[in-house]
Amino acid sequence: MRTLGPGSIASLLKIAQDVAYAVLWASLVLVVFATAAGLLALPFLTGRLDGHGNIDGHASDISALVAHWPTLLGAAVSIVAYLAVLLIIIFRLRQVFATLILGDPFRPENVGRLRIVGLALIALELVGYVVRLALVWAIPERSKHLDFTVNLSGWFAILVVFVLAEVFREGARLRRDAELTI
Amino acid sequence: MPIRVNLDRMLVERRMSLTELADRVGVTIVNLSILKTGKARAVRFSTLDALCRELDCQPGDLLNFVPGPPDEPGEEETG
Repeated sequence: MRTLGPGSIASLLKIAQDVAYAVLWASLVLVVFATAAGLLALPFLTGRLDGHGNIDGHASDISALVAHWPTLLGAAVSIVAYLAVLLIIIFRLRQVFATLILGDPFRPENVGRLRIVGLALIALELVGYVVRLALVWAIPERSKHLDFTVNLSGWFAILVVFVLAEVFREGARLRRDAELTI
Repeated sequence: MPIRVNLDRMLVERRMSLTELADRVGVTIVNLSILKTGKARAVRFSTLDALCRELDCQPGDLLNFVPGPPDEPGEEETG
């Protein structure tokens, strides 16, 4: 299989990255708009909520959502943060990939980009724990099944990314040496 | 870099231009300039062979060791 060009692994990966980038942006915009719409509609819905949590005297799914709006807002903020971090990762990966397409991936800038990806992955792991703790605090009756064990695969992936960053650093140094070998 | 390249002096002594040497040795002027200005990180034996042949000299005539601190590897790349 070819390294670059049509039909290569790189071209397939580029398509996957472009799709992920578009889907993440669309999801982020959707969540932000839905949250904003929900916040705008909240004063109208809470005004119609009676003491039993029913809207206009009728029990409905919306009434349950309105009753738990702080939790929902927290969930929306967590989702936005999650999508934003994923976008940072994809954005940096696309930058790394652009250098690969140019045929020159071993650049010093890519070391920093891969480190940012690693740090973003660490942030995702840590935010995951914070969100789970927040859920236990906010809705303890529904959070008993939450898993607080260490995600070994996630931390292993982080290790791989940081090792790759160092490999890129050495690659950049070797490339520079090769360039200046007469 | 504690290794100094005496290409300048050798060219003056032989009244040869860098372009002419580049043509004779088969190395681009850009690369010879890198060598001349001491920015090169390494010299291939084949290049050294061609330079010595065309300049009628020994490798020691082209290269000098001047005591000084060595370059840190990767220093230039990462800033």
